[in-house]
Amino acid sequence: MPGRKKLALALWLAAGLLIATAGVPAATEAPPIVQKPIAQIKKVTGQASVLRFGERRPAIVGDMLFVNDVIETGSDGGIGITFIDNTVFSAGPSSQIALDEFQFDSNDFRGAMLADMRQGTLAVVSGDIARSTPGAMKIKTPTAILGVRGTTFAVQVYGEH
Amino acid sequence: MMRRTIPALASMVLLAGCPRQALFVVLPNAEGGGVGAITVEDGKTATTLDQPYATAEARAGSTAPTAENQENISVIFRRAIAAQPILPQHIRLYFILGSDELTPESKLAYRAVFDDTKQRPVYEIEVIGFTDTVGDLPYNQALSLRRAAAIRDTLVRDGVDRRAISIVGRGKRDLLVPTADQTPEPRNRRVEITVR
Repeated sequence: MPGRKKLALALWLAAGLLIATAGVPAATEAPPIVQKPIAQIKKVTGQASVLRFGERRPAIVGDMLFVNDVIETGSDGGIGITFIDNTVFSAGPSSQIALDEFQFDSNDFRGAMLADMRQGTLAVVSGDIARSTPGAMKIKTPTAILGVRGTTFAVQVYGEH
Repeated sequence: MMRRTIPALASMVLLAGCPRQALFVVLPNAEGGGVGAITVEDGKTATTLDQPYATAEARAGSTAPTAENQENISVIFRRAIAAQPILPQHIRLYFILGSDELTPESKLAYRAVFDDTKQRPVYEIEVIGFTDTVGDLPYNQALSLRRAAAIRDTLVRDGVDRRAISIVGRGKRDLLVPTADQTPEPRNRRVEITVR
């Protein structure tokens, strides 16, 4: 028991030291989650941006995308992205698509994805997830959920007026 | 039959008065081969589309198949399709028995990988190495990784960005052509390369 107490104390000291050196004020902060990229921006025309943690930044060819990113295009914009499972998304003008969920195991090509298509136009060429895991690729629209079995398709969602 | 059809028709007429909320279209498969399917579920009905240009629309929260001519579809999705990047490409290269040296044919085919990267403004390359079943597991694990590394090194030597390449070795698991153990099989001695 004393040994365990000592260990606990040492851990507290170490934690205190870490907080002190990192200069992070709140000890309540969640441990950092290392996010893996799920897609890369391959093509941009006109105005296109990425909304991440509430912050909007211009979409730049080569930038990586992560779960919970939202891709957006302006009234003259277009964006093309390729996911790590080789699914390809391309959106036309005035589009907003949230990358809500994405898991992919490159060993067996299985996984799951859910994109929330809020408005605009989207063309999709499905990749490994739709091929290896029937029903695991889904696109949510305001009125319906779309399940995908290995194919090329397009969705238009009319914006709210 | 009539019982079912009449209400369905009536609801279609009613829905037709509501504005369209969404449109769903199966497009001809980009990679050739068979067309898959999409299923649209709105909580009440499931509509499956499995033919090129098969279309469904949502009105008043309900989804139903509809007819939209090909020309309109092209106009609606023209900009989205124009934003499509070059699609991922998959290439297989083959090796000499027990070696990380490509066969003469695959040495020529290698150019396709290199040339492909030149077409893309940005690229990622995945190289997965495999072996046939000659030799034990550790030997083949190492050999498969050496094969993948050899391709990476050649690409890097040719000017491809090393950071864009990931390699992995799968040994004698995942045979392309199933064989018994200790069987030389040229088609299993390979790397599978994805450029995207």
